[in-house]
Amino acid sequence: MGLRIILGLSFGAATAIWAQAPPAKDSSPFAGSNSCRPCHPAQALQFYRNPHFKSTVAANLPPEDTGCEGCHGAGKKHIAAGGGKATIGRAFSLLEPAQVLDTCLRCHSKDVNRTNIRRSSHTQANVVCTSCHSVHTPQSPKALLAKKQPDTCYGCHNEVRAQFAQPFKHRVNEGFMSCSDCHNPHGGNSAVSKTGHRPRMIEAGLQNEQPCMKCHTDKRGPFLFEHAATRVDGCEICHSPHGSMNTRLLKRPVVFTVCLECHNGAGSFGRQSDGVPTQSASHNMADPRYRNCTTCHVRIHGSNSDRTFLR
Amino acid sequence: MRILLGGLILAGGIWAQPVVAPTPEPAGSARGDNAGPYNITNSFEIGYRFKDVDGNTGKYRSDVNFGNGIRLLSGTMGVHTRDGKGKFFDELLLDLRGLGNDPYQFSSFRMQKNSLYRYDMMWRENEYFNPALTISGGQHLLSTSRKLQDHDLVLLPQSKLKFRMGYSRNSQGGPGLWTGQWFDGRGDEYSYFANVRREQNEYRVGGDLDIGRVKLTVMRGWEFFKDDTNFGRNTPTPGANTSDRNTLSSLRRDEPMHGSTPYWRAHLHSQLSRQFSVHGRFTHSSGRRDFLFDEFASGTDRLGAARNRQILVSGTGTRPVTTGHFTVSLQPDQKWSFANQTGYHQARMEGNGRYGELNNGTVGLELVSFEHLGIRNVSNTSDASWQPLKQAGVFGSFHVSERRIRSNQLEDIAPIRAGAPIEQTNRNKAGIFGVRLQPTGPLRILFSAEVGRNDKPFYPTSDKDYTAYVGRVSYRTKKYQLSSDFRTFNNTNSTSLFVHSSEGRTWAGAGTWSPRTNVQFDAGYSYQHLNTLTGLAYFADFNLVESSKSYYLTNLHTIHAGGQVQIRKRADVYAGFVRTQDRADGRRTPDAGSRANVVSDPSTIALLTGAQVFPVSFQSPLARVSVVIRNNLRWNFGWQYYDYREKFLSFQDYSAHTGYVSLSYSF
Repeated sequence: MGLRIILGLSFGAATAIWAQAPPAKDSSPFAGSNSCRPCHPAQALQFYRNPHFKSTVAANLPPEDTGCEGCHGAGKKHIAAGGGKATIGRAFSLLEPAQVLDTCLRCHSKDVNRTNIRRSSHTQANVVCTSCHSVHTPQSPKALLAKKQPDTCYGCHNEVRAQFAQPFKHRVNEGFMSCSDCHNPHGGNSAVSKTGHRPRMIEAGLQNEQPCMKCHTDKRGPFLFEHAATRVDGCEICHSPHGSMNTRLLKRPVVFTVCLECHNGAGSFGRQSDGVPTQSASHNMADPRYRNCTTCHVRIHGSNSDRTFLR
Repeated sequence: MRILLGGLILAGGIWAQPVVAPTPEPAGSARGDNAGPYNITNSFEIGYRFKDVDGNTGKYRSDVNFGNGIRLLSGTMGVHTRDGKGKFFDELLLDLRGLGNDPYQFSSFRMQKNSLYRYDMMWRENEYFNPALTISGGQHLLSTSRKLQDHDLVLLPQSKLKFRMGYSRNSQGGPGLWTGQWFDGRGDEYSYFANVRREQNEYRVGGDLDIGRVKLTVMRGWEFFKDDTNFGRNTPTPGANTSDRNTLSSLRRDEPMHGSTPYWRAHLHSQLSRQFSVHGRFTHSSGRRDFLFDEFASGTDRLGAARNRQILVSGTGTRPVTTGHFTVSLQPDQKWSFANQTGYHQARMEGNGRYGELNNGTVGLELVSFEHLGIRNVSNTSDASWQPLKQAGVFGSFHVSERRIRSNQLEDIAPIRAGAPIEQTNRNKAGIFGVRLQPTGPLRILFSAEVGRNDKPFYPTSDKDYTAYVGRVSYRTKKYQLSSDFRTFNNTNSTSLFVHSSEGRTWAGAGTWSPRTNVQFDAGYSYQHLNTLTGLAYFADFNLVESSKSYYLTNLHTIHAGGQVQIRKRADVYAGFVRTQDRADGRRTPDAGSRANVVSDPSTIALLTGAQVFPVSFQSPLARVSVVIRNNLRWNFGWQYYDYREKFLSFQDYSAHTGYVSLSYSF
C-alpha cells in the first residue's frame, strides 16, 4: 500500500513538472512529452535523471528536439492509434542500424570524439548506438551504457576478455581504468604509428601519439636519444597492451628474444637503412649475464645521456 | 517521499566477475530520498578485505596485490533536481571504488547546472608493484604509487558558444631498484636504489562555437612535466658477478629533467545536410625538455685498479608534432555510406647534448651529440558500405599511406661536423572487404578480410605482407546470448637473407543463459595461438652466430564459467572460475623442444629452446554469498583463490586466498 502511495505521489509530482514543457500546437504532429506519461510511467518517472531531460527543461528547442519526441518522433498519431510501435515515428527496436545512427547523430554528430563514427569499425559491423547504450535503463549514468564497461565491450570481444584474464594486464577488470581510456568506440582517426589500417579505434594521446603515453608519461620524451622502435612502430612492437603471460606485458617470455629479433643486422631495416645493429662481440650470449639486456640498457624507451640507453 | 528506482540500478548480470569484490548485487531496490527540489539516491558497500599468500609474495603483488584492511569497496550517489531548475546544480553524481587502501582506487564526480556549467572530475590511484624478476624483464623493482586526476569544466554547455577549461595531473612516486655497469662494459652489474619522483601537469582552455551547420572547437593547452628521480648507493656491496675484481664503492646520481609541451588543437565540423558532412582536425604541439645528468661513482675496475669517475651531461630535446585530418562523409540514402579521410602526421625529434667524463680527476672523454629523427606520414583511407537488404550488407575499405623517415645521428668533439641525413620511404597499401548478415533478428554474422603490403618495413618484425581475417557470430535473445569470434593474422617480412613470419589465430566463444529471472549462467572459452620464426644474429664466446632462429610458440587456453542463483529473494549465491593456461608445445622441461630442429646451430640450442615457449597456468576460482538482512541492507561474503604455476621454474609460483566480508546499504 505504501509503495502505491509513493508511486502515486511521485507520478503526480512528475506530472506537475512535465506540464511545464511547451504545449504543442494543434496543427502540429507533436503531442508534447507529458502526453506520453500515462502509458509509459516507468520511463517518465526516471526521466529527470537522464541527460536528455535537459531538452525538456531548456524550453527553447523546437518540438522535434524536445523530450520523448526528440528521439522517438512525433507522437500524435501514436496516441490516436492507442499505441503500437508501428505508429510512432521512431521505435528503436524497429529501426535499421543506419536509422538509429542517423537519429542519434542529429544532435551528437558535432562532438569531437564522434566525428569518425561513420567510418568506424563498429558502424561497418552494424554496431550502432543502441547496441551499447540504453537511454532508459542505463547502468552508467554518464554515458548511458546498457552495461558497465568493460562488460559492454566483452559482450562481443570475447578474446579481449581472455587477454585481461592473464597474470600481467592493465587493471580494467579491477575498475582502475576502462576500455575507453585507450579506445574510442565511436572511431578514431587514421593510425599514427605503423602505416596500415589497424588499429582504427584508438583514442590518441596528447601529441597524437599512442594512448599508452597518456599515463606512461615518463616513456614519452622527448629524449635526446630516442629508441626509434617506440616512435615509428609504436609500443606494440614489444608489448601486448591488453594482457600477457609475460612480465611487463612483453611479447616474449625472455627479454633477449624481444631485442634480438630486431637487432640482427639483417636487410635494409632500421634507422640507418642498413639493418638494426647487432650487439658487439663483448655480449657473450652463451653467458646468462648477457641475456637480460635491460639490466644494462636500463633506459630502453629513450635516454638523454647515452646513445645505447645505458643511463 | 521516496521514489522507487527499480530500473536504475540493476544487477549487472554475471558478465565479467574477475575480482570478487565489490558485490554487484544492489542492496534492495534503489530508493531515493527527496530533499527540497532534489532527489537523492545513495548506495555504498563497506567491508574488510583479507589475503593469505603462499609462495612468491612479490609475484602475487605484481598480479593481484589486494591486501588486508577495511575498504569502501564501492559507493555511488546521485542527486538530481526533479524540475531541472536547481539553484546551484541540477545533477550531482559520485562513483567510488576501492577507497581506503585498495591497490586500485577510483572515483569520479560530476556536478552540473543545466545550461550554465558542467564539471567532471576523475581521480585514480594505482599501487604498482613489479618485483625484481630475474627472468623476462631484467632485475628492476618498482613499488610506486601512480595518481591520476582529471578536471574538466564546461561553461554554457547547451549554448552555441561554450567555454572549456581543464586540468590533469599524473604523478608517480616511490622506491625502485635499478641496475647498471660501471667503469667497464665487461665489468659487473650492480643494483642501486632510486627514489622515483615524476610529475606531469596539464592546463587547457578552449571553447566551441556552433554557428548554423558548422561547429568550431579550439583548445589551447600547456603540459609541464618533470622527473626528479634521484639515485644513490653509499655502501659497497658485491655485484651480480662475484668472480671479477670490479667493485662499486659509492654512487651518486642526479638526473633532473624538466620540460613542457604547449599545444593547439582545432576541430571544424560541418553537417551540411543529413547526407553530407565534412570535418577537419588540426593539432600542433612543441614538446621540449631540458636535462642534466650528474653522476659520481668510485670503486675498482675489472683489473682491480682504483677508479673514480664523474659524468656530466646536459642538453635539450625537442619534439614538435603536427597532425591534420580531413574527412568527408556521404550518405546518399539509408543503403549507401561513403567516407574518405586524409591524414597527415609529422614528428620531428631533435636534440643535442654535451657529454663530459672525468676519470680519476683527469678528463677522459668529451663529446657533443646531435640527434634528429623525423617521421612524416601521409595517409588516405576510403570506406564504403552498402546495405541492399535488411539481412545482408557489404563494406570495404582501401588505405594507402606513405611514411618518410629521416635520421641523422652525430657524435663528435666540438665543434660538431655536419652530417647528411639518411632518408627512407615506406609505402603501404591495404584493403578490407567485409560481409555482414542478419538472417534472423537475433542472429548476426560478420566476416572481414584484410590484405596489406608494405614495401619497406622499418623493423624485421614489422608488418610487411600480411593478411587478417575476422569473423563474428552472435545470437541474442532475452534468455540466451551466444557469441563467437575468430581472428587470424599472418605476416611475412623477408629480405634475401632473412625471414620473419608470424601466424596468429584466435578463437573465442561465450554464452549466457538465463532460464529464470533468478538464475543465470555464463561460460566462455578462448584459444589464442601465436607462432613466430625470426632470424637471429648474436655473439657467443666471441663468435658471430648468424644462422640461428628465434622460434616462439604460445597456445593459450582461457576458460571462464559462472553461475548465479537468487534464493527466495533473500540471498544471492555466485560461483565462478577463470583459468588461463599457456600449453605451448606440451613440453615439460625447457630443453626438450619439439621445434628445436629449427635452430640450425647446435651450440645455441640450449640458449634458445628455453625461450621458445613459456608454459604457465593461472587460475582463479571465486564464490560469493550475499544475504538480504533488510530491504536495503545486505551482508556479503566472498572468497577468491589465485594459483600461478610455471612449468620450467617454480620460484615465482604462488597461491593466494583473498576475500572480503562487507555490508552494503542503499536508499
